[in-house]
Formats: sequence, structure tokens, C-alpha cells
Amino acid sequence: MGHHVAIVGVGQTHHARRRTDVSQAGLVREAVDRALADANLEMGDIDTVVVASGPVLFGAVNHPELWVANAIGAKGKPIFRVTSGGGAGFAGALAGYYQVAGGYAGRTLVVAYDKLSEGPLQYSISTLYDPFWGREFAVGIMGFSAAYWRARMDALGHTEEAAAMVSVKNRRNAIANPYAHMKKEVTVDDVLNSKPLCWPIKLLDVPPISDGAAAIVLSNEKLAAKSTQKPAFINGIAYCCEADNAAERSLMLSEPLALAAKKVYRAAGITNPRRQFDVVEVQEPYSCFELNYYESLGLCPPGEAAQLVAAGATDLDGDIPVNPSGGCMGANPIGAVGVVRLIEGATQVMGRNESNQIKNARLALVQSGGGWANLRGCAVLSA
Amino acid sequence: MYSAPESMSLDMPTFHAEISLPYTLTPGGAAGTFLAEMKNRRIVGSRFANGEVVAPAQDFSASDGEPMASFVEVPQTGEITAFTRVDGTIIAFIKLDGCANEFPHRVLGDLDAVRIGQRVKAEWDDGVENSILAIKGFVIAEDAAVGTVSDLSEPEEAIGSLDYALALPYEHAYGPYYGRMFDEIKGFGRVMGVRTADGDDALLPPREIDDISHTPTGTWKTCADTGTIRGCSIINMEFIGQTKKPPYVYAEIVLDGASTRLIHLIEIDDVEFAKKNIGPGTRVRAIWTDGERKGSMADIERFEVIEE
Repeated sequence: MGHHVAIVGVGQTHHARRRTDVSQAGLVREAVDRALADANLEMGDIDTVVVASGPVLFGAVNHPELWVANAIGAKGKPIFRVTSGGGAGFAGALAGYYQVAGGYAGRTLVVAYDKLSEGPLQYSISTLYDPFWGREFAVGIMGFSAAYWRARMDALGHTEEAAAMVSVKNRRNAIANPYAHMKKEVTVDDVLNSKPLCWPIKLLDVPPISDGAAAIVLSNEKLAAKSTQKPAFINGIAYCCEADNAAERSLMLSEPLALAAKKVYRAAGITNPRRQFDVVEVQEPYSCFELNYYESLGLCPPGEAAQLVAAGATDLDGDIPVNPSGGCMGANPIGAVGVVRLIEGATQVMGRNESNQIKNARLALVQSGGGWANLRGCAVLSA
Repeated sequence: MYSAPESMSLDMPTFHAEISLPYTLTPGGAAGTFLAEMKNRRIVGSRFANGEVVAPAQDFSASDGEPMASFVEVPQTGEITAFTRVDGTIIAFIKLDGCANEFPHRVLGDLDAVRIGQRVKAEWDDGVENSILAIKGFVIAEDAAVGTVSDLSEPEEAIGSLDYALALPYEHAYGPYYGRMFDEIKGFGRVMGVRTADGDDALLPPREIDDISHTPTGTWKTCADTGTIRGCSIINMEFIGQTKKPPYVYAEIVLDGASTRLIHLIEIDDVEFAKKNIGPGTRVRAIWTDGERKGSMADIERFEVIEE
């Protein structure tokens, strides 16, 4: 491997259901200004820029990176856009990581965003289905996600109660998150009794829809000192895919996530994830996904996710806290979420998380994903 | 690989699809103010700290990234810096007097009279507000005096959001595998897949290469109209683009004789009944449309639960 890569500055917007005071580009600018200030840098110090956002159909602007480049003062810099659905931000960070690790850039700014108040969400997402094969019956990814949660109930015991506990935990954690906009405590009964949207997914299993942006500055080890005495190093990062219509696709464990975890754990020297990680941030577009990730990331054996959350192990004071930031339940600007999760993980190991700092957190695991279930990745961060 | 046989015509029927979406776009402070001022027949620009004036107004300078310092009213006169003609309409880049930038708009006039450096002035469209098309276009104004930029102390409040719509028509090529599958659906009302090299179960949709073994697939096979639900959820919400009124069941079904799933729906009367009685392992049958088959998955109208 080439250069060590660290996150040296972070910034995110105060996410909201709808921001009518700024354009998409204005939203991005807010996150970039905060990340650069946090990294003690100016745009002139940045070598390359990666812009990440969800499908163009979300915001009806093609090539938004051109618009963004103008708004953040990136004229003349190498810049490109990465998109990978919900994993866009994470894939953008991976693209930035490659540039710095490979020595092609000393510092790369990764900025990710989505302004979901502007277009019809489920319909836009449904266009990821094959136009010949399934799109006319698609319900975004919600119909699909609920279908395989239902299957995992039978096979792995991922009950409605267990998923409700995830929602309760994350919503409670989000109350302390200054960037979240959904801050309301709910009970397991509230979740179970909320309106079925795509049963078993119910209203309170679903995060809010948000406008938001997030940015990180990636730096090589040598240049990191200008920004901070305590950067968050990326010890491993991977993003894998699986064949969509293949015969062997079980959808019980997330196969691409398990593959990514195996690769990343080897790079970062992780042999016992539950014991070694101090904190975990996952992207849970629905509460049931978090249960799936516990097992796919090896935090517990397959079939024990419900028990893990019920025992409180993933609570703030549990032995493996998951989503102390509140995860997507506090805010869900889809394309930005991969970077938001990296920010929350990075600030934990830097010892300056603004939501719920886990005491003496040294090693963080971050997960993100896109597509319906076939693109999943994770990263290990340490200070 | 992944190519049609050489005997196949290059010009084949296509699958028509349309994506049409409504939007509420947010122009932001500067563009929102520019749009709001259209009804006052004023062209609003931004002045930046470095002295540059840009119109239409922009939140941030494209040259140095600085935020705008103040709004200004810019002249309605300027000059053409580039032009072309599209479908009989002349589109030109217009540089308004006192501005550092140019922007595209219509020129109303005769192409013969248009040249680089030509003086023009804005002509307004009385029927339009909140859009840059409130400026109907720019007309030739040979002797228009060079205007000056003036301060704009109390502009209208910025427009927060604007309705917009996209309607995108597509003509997708089927390719030989989808082509045969939909021909069989249309012509014979049967779903055909292809066998893998080492097994009898069919891959649906059919494909040239098996995803797992990466070897060429084998012969065609007709799958049954019956199958088993692999995963399903009960759709109980409405959303834009939905083709059926809820509630109904979204189902991923493995047809008998196939190894992969197809996506379809099952009609239900009652959510609670479906929760208890429809799930992974439930047996279902395809109900084909009574009408003329068009060669799409919608030729299967729905699936229904069967007792066996």
C-alpha cells in the first residue's frame, strides 16, 4: 500500500427536511466551508476534489459537480463526481482515498450531498430497477428491503420488536446530535403501532427525508500535521458488489458487506470485531438493515442480532455502541450519508464527537452502502 | 460475447419507457432574488468583493469562490458574444453592460442581423413571472447607450422553491435474450429462461453468461406459471409513479423450473390477512392479462395465492 491516509477535517450542514434558503450548490458550500475551517486549510491547499451525490433524478441537475465546483471555488482543480445511490458518499470517500494513498494528491476534499426535498424519492430510486424487469412494480428500495426483512424474520429471527429497538435506540441517540433534525424519543410500542408503509417496514422504522451535505478533507500523513495533531487514520476501506440476479443470492447475510469486512479487517488487523471496536456507525435506511449489518460485520453470529440489540450491547453504554450519532434516524440526506457516517466515526476516535462521545474511543468501524442491497462497504478508523 | 447473432437485423423494435417526475427546485438566495425581481422587470446581478458584477445573480464567485457582497441592478442592454440557431431560434451568449460574465438567452430577430459584438436590449414578456423567460429575448439595438450598474438596496424576497417537471422518453433495445423472452411472452404467453451450463433450472431474465460460473449459458426452457415467493412486503402507501393502488403485495417469486426471482405483485383485500397468509414459501400462480399481450412483464396482470 502507498501513503497512509487520514481524515484531517470534517464539516456537515445542519440537516433539515427542506432548505429553501439555499440551492444544491449553496448547501454543499456550507459543508465545504466547515470542513476546510476544521482542517485549518483554504481551498488553495486542496489538490483534488471529489463530489458525490445520489441519482441525478433526485435533483434534476445533470453534472452537478460543475455547479458545485463554481460554488466552492474549485476552479481549475481536478474534480469528478461519484455516484452510487445511498453509498455515493462512501464511494466518493473511497475514490478520494485512492488518490491520496496512491500519491496522486496530497490532500483531497470529498464533498457529498443530496437535496431530497426537490424531487419524488421512491420513483427516482425505482429507476435503479431494470426497465424490462421489475421497474413497473418497484417501490423504491423499500418494497424490496421489507421483502427480505420478512424473509430474515423466519431464517434469522430479525423480529419486528428487534428492529423497533434499533429505531428507538437511534432516535434517542439523535437527540444529542446537533446536525440531526429528527429528534424525538419513541418507544418500541410506538414503532410497532406506527403505520405500515411496506409491511413489515412501518413509518417509525424509516428515517426522515433530508436536505444535507457533508465534507471531509483526506490528507497524507506528512501534510496532516498542518491540520490537526490527532488525525483519524483510515486503516482499511473497501466497497464490494454482488451479482444482482444470480441464482445463489440469498440476501440473508449481506454478502458484499461480509466480503468488504473481511478485506478491511485483514488490512486493519481486526480478528475480534466486537471486542476490538470501540464504536460503530452504520447507514440504516430502514431499522431492519442495522440488524443485518451486525451479523454481516461479524459483531455477532448470524441469528443473534435481535439478542444483541435486546441486551443493550449496541446502546451508548453497551460494549459495542452502534450509531451514537443516531444514524440515519436523525437525518438522512442519502448521498451524503456515507460521509456523515465517516465524520461521526472519525470524530469519535479524534475524541471530539459532537453527538455522544464514546469515552476513550480508539478504533471505529464505519459501514455504508448503495444499490438495493448489492453494494456495501466499510472502513476502519483509528487516531 | 454479449452481442447479437450476425444474422440479426440491426434495426429492431424497441421497448418504450417514460420517466416523468415533478420537482420543487430551490434556486437559493441569489438566483431566487433574480427570479423574484423578474416581475418588477429588473435584472438582478451580484457584486463581489473584487468588484466583479455577475448577472443573473450568483451566490458565489466562479472566479475565486467568494460569497457575493451585494445585489445590484444591471442594465438591460449589452452585446452578443456568441450565437447559434437551433430549430429556428437564435440562441446567443449575452454580456450585459457592466457585467463580467455572459449567459445564454434568445435573440429575437433575423439571423442576418446578428453578429459578434452586436448591441442588444432585453424585451419583456408580459405573461411571465418568476422565470428567466420573463425576458422574452434580446432584440437588436444598434444605438443602445451603454448602461451602468446601480445599487439595489431593497430587492424582493428570494423565491424559495419553484415547480419544475421532467418527462424523459426512452426507447430501450431488447437485445437477443430479452428480445426472445418478450417475444415468447407476447406470442405464446409463456416465460422462458435459459439453463446454466451445468443445471436444468433456468436463469430469469435469460442472459448469455451465467453470473456465478461466468460460463456461457445453455438452452432455452419454459418455466411454469406457478412458483414460490422468496420475499414479499405489503405495500400500504401511495407514491408518485406507482402503477397500482395500495394495498397490494410486492413479491419476488421464483417460478417453478427457474433459479432466480422475478418481481411482481399480488392483489389483496386486507393487510392483516396478507400478513398472516402470504410470506416466503407461499405458492402462487401467474394470472395473464385478458387483453392483448404487449410483450412486457405487465402481460402478467398479477399473481395469486394457490392452495396445493
